Amino acid sequence: MHKPLEILNLSKNYGAFKAVDDVSFALEEGEIFGLLGPNGAGKTTLISCVVTLENMTSGKVKVFGDSILDKPKETKSKIGYVPQEVVNHGYFTVEEILKFYSGFFGILRNQEKIDYLLNRLSLDVHRNKKVKQLSGGMKRRLMIAKALVHDPKILLLDEPTAGVDIELRNSLWDFVVELKKSGTTVLLTTHYLEEAEELCDRIGVIHNGSLRKVGRTSDLIQDLTLRKLEMQLSGKNKEFNSKYLVSQCEESIELEFPSNLEIGEVVKDLDLDWSTVKDIHLKEGSLEEAFLRILNENNANNSTNNSVERDC
Amino acid sequence: MKTQNIYFNPFLMLLWKEIRRYCKVLVQTVVTPGINSSLYLIIFGVSLGGSIDVGLEVPYLAFLISGLIMMSCLNNSFANTSSSIISGKFSGDLEDLKVVPLSKQQIIWAMCLGGITRGLVVASVALTVGQIFYYSQYGEFMEIKSPFSLAFFLLGGALAYAKLGMFVAFLAKTFDQMSAVSAFVLQPLAFLGGVFFSLNNLSPFWQKISLFNPVFYLINGVRHSILGVSDVPPLSAAVVTVLSLVIFHVLVLVTLSRSEFKRW
Repeated sequence: MHKPLEILNLSKNYGAFKAVDDVSFALEEGEIFGLLGPNGAGKTTLISCVVTLENMTSGKVKVFGDSILDKPKETKSKIGYVPQEVVNHGYFTVEEILKFYSGFFGILRNQEKIDYLLNRLSLDVHRNKKVKQLSGGMKRRLMIAKALVHDPKILLLDEPTAGVDIELRNSLWDFVVELKKSGTTVLLTTHYLEEAEELCDRIGVIHNGSLRKVGRTSDLIQDLTLRKLEMQLSGKNKEFNSKYLVSQCEESIELEFPSNLEIGEVVKDLDLDWSTVKDIHLKEGSLEEAFLRILNENNANNSTNNSVERDC
Repeated sequence: MKTQNIYFNPFLMLLWKEIRRYCKVLVQTVVTPGINSSLYLIIFGVSLGGSIDVGLEVPYLAFLISGLIMMSCLNNSFANTSSSIISGKFSGDLEDLKVVPLSKQQIIWAMCLGGITRGLVVASVALTVGQIFYYSQYGEFMEIKSPFSLAFFLLGGALAYAKLGMFVAFLAKTFDQMSAVSAFVLQPLAFLGGVFFSLNNLSPFWQKISLFNPVFYLINGVRHSILGVSDVPPLSAAVVTVLSLVIFHVLVLVTLSRSEFKRW
């Protein structure tokens, strides 16, 4: 069984500059894969190589087992691509644009799907408007409608929510989840890490053109972040001593520990009088922390030190 | 029933889009060239024409009409493909052509066929306007000696110029570069290509220079088809037409392979 999208040793050079450097990963069928990285990391260049907007310097891209260079028509017809920048379409209306795009993917009569997408993306009343007459959010939704007119098996979303308000962002992500449920495989890039954490089954982190880490979102968070345990205490307390302790104030202590440890093991060194514990708050690590740790691998070890550094 | 054909339908849709694009602005793309042709006919054909002898035993008005038909056809075929690509580079929708299942050959032929249709529509307008002027001067319509030959030269010239338009537009990095090619290369070639004068009106030096102008052959091919007389034999005109087609096709294919479809 072929993977929906396989990227094999893909590199893209601009002269001596390596925009994408020997990147390999594959998408599993029906998953949402988040490609994360800071600005200029190579996310857009990578996606541009997949859709042949950029010619890759070396490597291979396969769609359901077929190379995009050997079978361009067959592979491109399975991909829906939403570019980062909004495209204008001059004289044409929203509905005309979707008809053209359906035809470009080989479907000449596609009114039912076009009507569905216009309704689903709240563009129905704007179907006779030109792109320049639409608001920023409407333009984004049109870009997504364009990419979906031919029911692609793979959807590539390059920062689809850049500059979009929270309400619309949420509705677009809901739609992406709906697409996933219907079997579409999604590759997306975004700078909203909280949303990526909630949405993506797996994450790839790219930095300076190379892929630093790929894994299940929950595994990355578990492996690369620390859980935080905060306890509110009553009365005057002794000075606690534990390798997991990161701060102690008069009436509270905070501990940080790896996800694979049980809480009992973490607190046993404290020699705590449990009758003084007023409240306990457990905070899980976030994708943002894991992401920052991957980007700053050298500094990562510092986060496990047990020095008391937090202000009370 | 929804059917998907990724091999031929994308080509059909791009052709349809190219035609729809110029139909959206018919005043700019068809009416304006028609008015321009009328002005040339009034100024040169009707007003000055009586005092010009081109030495080909045909009235100057008939000589001018045949030249104007081809000039309109070439200019508009060129304008359609080039403006489609340039506006696509500006707005970003040229990228769409690269990410959909269209081959390079399909892109070339669909865009060029779109350009040809506009060239032929405007040529028909020029012919109609010309016939009206001819009828008003001579009381009869101008006879077309060889309709098949006319179709060959109009189609061949339009296709060659549509390809040239694609080639120049894909190469252009700015609007300025595009208009520089039009102003410094194409317009001089067209105006010096025998639309308004015959070789007989030129000194031997300029006669020799004119023979190096490919547009001169394309225009004389049409002139011979309509009037039965021209400055160069129709066979030479046909050879130049075919050569132009081959050369421009290779150029545009190479350019398309190397150019970026990315927006400016």
